[in-house]
Amino acid sequence: MSNEPDPDVAREAIEYCYEQGWTDGLPVVPASQSRLDEFLAQTSRDADEVLWRMDHLGRECTVRTAAINAAMAGCLPEYFPVVLAAWDAVMRDRAAKGGGWQSTSGPAPLIVINGPIRHDLSVNCTGGIFAGGFRPNATIPRALGLMLRNAFGVAPHVFDQTTQGIPGRWAICFGENEEESPWEPLATEMGLEPNANAVSCTLTRTYEFVDNRHTQDPEQLLNDFADTISRTGVMIFRAQSAGIVFCPEHAQMLANAGYSKTDVKDWLVEQCGRVEADLRRAGKDAVSEGGFGGRSASEEERVPGDVFTPFLPGRQSVPIVVAGARNAAISMVFRVFGEWSNSSVEIEPARSPVQAAKGG
Amino acid sequence: MVICSDAFKATADAMAEVQGAPGYVYVTTPHPVAGLTPEQVRERAESVAGEVARLLAE
Repeated sequence: MSNEPDPDVAREAIEYCYEQGWTDGLPVVPASQSRLDEFLAQTSRDADEVLWRMDHLGRECTVRTAAINAAMAGCLPEYFPVVLAAWDAVMRDRAAKGGGWQSTSGPAPLIVINGPIRHDLSVNCTGGIFAGGFRPNATIPRALGLMLRNAFGVAPHVFDQTTQGIPGRWAICFGENEEESPWEPLATEMGLEPNANAVSCTLTRTYEFVDNRHTQDPEQLLNDFADTISRTGVMIFRAQSAGIVFCPEHAQMLANAGYSKTDVKDWLVEQCGRVEADLRRAGKDAVSEGGFGGRSASEEERVPGDVFTPFLPGRQSVPIVVAGARNAAISMVFRVFGEWSNSSVEIEPARSPVQAAKGG
Repeated sequence: MVICSDAFKATADAMAEVQGAPGYVYVTTPHPVAGLTPEQVRERAESVAGEVARLLAE
């Protein structure tokens, strides 16, 4: 008699989960009590602790519910402290607390992992960080999506009011390529001890890559980023936040030219923006008047066409991470949906030996 | 009293239900609203004012 699991039994359990409305469209891993116990054993937090409550929906998510959804997402038990830290990190984001999960933008959590745990859990930090193929990178953000759907009932067409959404909305998670970054890790920059295991997370609105293998001049390279960051299409309010996931090659080129992360941020804050005539051409001149108002195009020219509107309020609006392979000079610009918390959350140490080999 | 654009009916109905008021009656105005000029917003307000008054009086 074979010891292999019975695919028909597995399929029946998977179909049962579909029938309950528990999936995001892809199959989930059916969760048993014993599997749930394995997840809960990874944290010192009480299973009944409420992670978050959405008062307007009258719903909450406990540590237990998070564990069930992490198991269904395909996480291994040892990923669970990362899932909890990622949830805590994203909920420091003002927009996530304020209904951002239900926004028509359909914002995606961007999850960045720092520290030795990247290697313990086999988190991809190099080639293909946005391209799938790695279990922790794929299942940790999916766990957050399932928590939102199953604990809070924020599902498409009802409480999730996403117009189109972001491709890969529940699949954006990677480790920083600390080994090939010329700069300090994101979590260290945010004030945690060097080598801390930590998660940084914010809601994001778009991803656009900058392919520049064409210049060795750091200012030309930064101008290419500024052009992408300064496009009018993404503007909704005057103040916006744009981050960069630098590939190692771009980061090293800038660092070799003497740029610290802070220097890069300050340069972008000064240079990113558009003149009034450009904003007016796109019907977004009223946005330049500031604040959350002024969405409709103005009928008359209010300020001279050559007046420059900077887009980034300050260096706290420009998160910078280094990740990806060192095989080409391709980086990614992303938009922060609301306001990044500028903080990282330490991951609770694993309570049982990490079985990295099973990470796949 | 709730007024929302008609693109948000599904969410509004679901909100009413989780708030313990299934079938809650509210007023809708055609979508979109975000890009309207102040004058167009005024016209919208006038177009729903009667219905708002009627619901408030009920």
